[in-house]
Amino acid sequence: MKKLLLTLLLICSLVSFGQEKIALVNSSTPSQVGDTLVIDVKYQGSAGTAKLTQFDFQYNNKLLALQSRTWKLTSTSAQKAYNSWNGYKWGNNTATTDIDGEYADYVAGNTSYGTNADWSVERVTIQDVTAFANNDEWIQYKFTIKDKGTTNYSDYSNLINLNWGYLNKSDGTDLPVDGEVDGGTSLTLTGIQGGAAGNVSISISSNVIANNIGDGADFSYTIITKEDMDDGDSTNDVIVASGTFDTAGDATVTGLENDVEYAVWVTIDDSKTYLDNVVTVSDLALIFQEAIGAGNSPNGSTTTFDYYIQKLLGDVYFPEGDDPFTINFQDSYEVLAYLQGVTSTNTAYITKTGGAFNVSGIKSTFGNKGETTDYPTFSPIIKPTDTNKSFDFAHALAGDVNFSHSYQPANTNDFKISSMVIGNSSTLKTTSFNASRYQSVDANIDLVSQIVDGKVVFSINSQVAGMIGTQFNITYDNTRIELEDVIFDTGNEMTNFANHRDGEGKINIGSFDQSFEQTVKQGTPYKLVFKPLVELQNASGLVTFKVHEGVRADGTQINLRME
Amino acid sequence: MKKLLTLFTLLLLTSCMKDEIMEPIFLSEVPETLEISDIQGIKLENTIVSSEVRMNIKLPSDGKYRVKIRDIASKLVSQEELTAKEGDNILAVYTSSLDKSSYTLELVDSNNNVLGRAVFVNQ
Repeated sequence: MKKLLLTLLLICSLVSFGQEKIALVNSSTPSQVGDTLVIDVKYQGSAGTAKLTQFDFQYNNKLLALQSRTWKLTSTSAQKAYNSWNGYKWGNNTATTDIDGEYADYVAGNTSYGTNADWSVERVTIQDVTAFANNDEWIQYKFTIKDKGTTNYSDYSNLINLNWGYLNKSDGTDLPVDGEVDGGTSLTLTGIQGGAAGNVSISISSNVIANNIGDGADFSYTIITKEDMDDGDSTNDVIVASGTFDTAGDATVTGLENDVEYAVWVTIDDSKTYLDNVVTVSDLALIFQEAIGAGNSPNGSTTTFDYYIQKLLGDVYFPEGDDPFTINFQDSYEVLAYLQGVTSTNTAYITKTGGAFNVSGIKSTFGNKGETTDYPTFSPIIKPTDTNKSFDFAHALAGDVNFSHSYQPANTNDFKISSMVIGNSSTLKTTSFNASRYQSVDANIDLVSQIVDGKVVFSINSQVAGMIGTQFNITYDNTRIELEDVIFDTGNEMTNFANHRDGEGKINIGSFDQSFEQTVKQGTPYKLVFKPLVELQNASGLVTFKVHEGVRADGTQINLRME
Repeated sequence: MKKLLTLFTLLLLTSCMKDEIMEPIFLSEVPETLEISDIQGIKLENTIVSSEVRMNIKLPSDGKYRVKIRDIASKLVSQEELTAKEGDNILAVYTSSLDKSSYTLELVDSNNNVLGRAVFVNQ
């Protein structure tokens, strides 16, 4: 019986002593940078004899900014004080509730504060003539959550610690006391959103880069908030960040905030002369094929395109009332007129030097099928977070249906038109999905200039068979020679074109058979005759060639190579 | 006085030299900057070029040759076929229609054998 009573007494004593506690309680739910964190400092005990307390706690001043201290004591007789120091951190154990033990170490000189710019120390002292009551709130601290993006910290853990503390009775004797921060030994906040995102990486994919036509530095980005984009008034858009990509097509963007949605637009430098080579006879063939309805059903009502995005890139003319993403003869006419140098009164979205029509979006969904329609979709939206600060974009140019200067989507059902898998007997359409037709094939050709009878004669000699279309973009030195004649010998039924821009010293010549049956005659199908404007010894460098390509009936581009 | 005597002596010595030493030397038509010591090859007067540069193509025999201009990726961007004589042929390369970049000039014979190359920068 004695043992039982002794045990009960011991348990009661332990429970009683164990309940003396100085607690820092988080009474707020901050969720983003700038929110207020409220810490209530409370006495939790039942001894009823504690009348003096002193304790130190520390907070991370890089992540928390002290807003205010407010005394909450209801006793009018209490004497109270607080002190603070910036740039110090407790040198002993903070992962303990034994704060009076830490105090003992402190007064014994076993430990002390060391300098540390990231931490600040608060010391609270309260003395009263009446004993502290259980659950008394002594003082309330408020802090502002700071942006960790500007610090070396990766999260909001271990923000506050109790360093040491004690409780005394009125006679000066100690009461054992524990310390607790947010139910443990430190305060950690999770799910804090916002704040500077730091370095956000954006990369751009395009065949301009992949095929060394240009490089990544030809591309630039502009970023606005999604909220700005959604307001429908682009005149008031505020550009959050802008810049150019590096030569590899990567950019490091700063000035964005975590957990905020942004719209990213990628554009190409439209002064680049290679943009004159974006839309060629190969694109014309693909658009024309689509326009005549050479799809995989007998009535020609289905598409010849392989990718949903081609419906956008090929729809170069869409006046009001026109079906969106629908290719018709007007589109192929506009491209043919462009290649022939015929000035159209219509506004056609055909990319050329000085006029690039950009399409950009997140690469993983670039041009994938819409949820309810067969129209391609594009998303410019990014949302940097703590765990995702890297975004891949893709870029394409209007009119470039063969992707010569654009990103070609992946060969998956998200991007390709599945109906293309079904074959039929049409000779004009593609009977199965064939991504390789966007990979050009090589064929040799001879382009050469000579002085003949005092004139500069530029000949295109071809033994290549099976070309239903060709295009040669020629540049000549218009300060020394003048175009006098263009001689076609392509066959009787080919439609030939010559787009001469005298002021620029450029001429695009070529042929295209709209029936997809006639092919360019072998031999010397094209000859340009130039009259010298100055005395010439020879012709080296006077005529240069940019684009020299052919196209097969299935739309495959033939890259005409010269040895 | 000493100077006068020296001059007189020199004149006397010169007048006594053999006649063949005094025969005129015919200068080559090829400027020094375009001289090619090998039997064949191609040479430009300048490496950094604007609008036009003179070149010498030195050929092993009369015939048809081609002068090719290749870009940095070795892609042919221009070529001329010409008939030229054995030896030095001073001609020109016109660069106004070329983009500002670096190019390789290539001289080939009718069998597509490369006889010489020269690199230039068009600016």
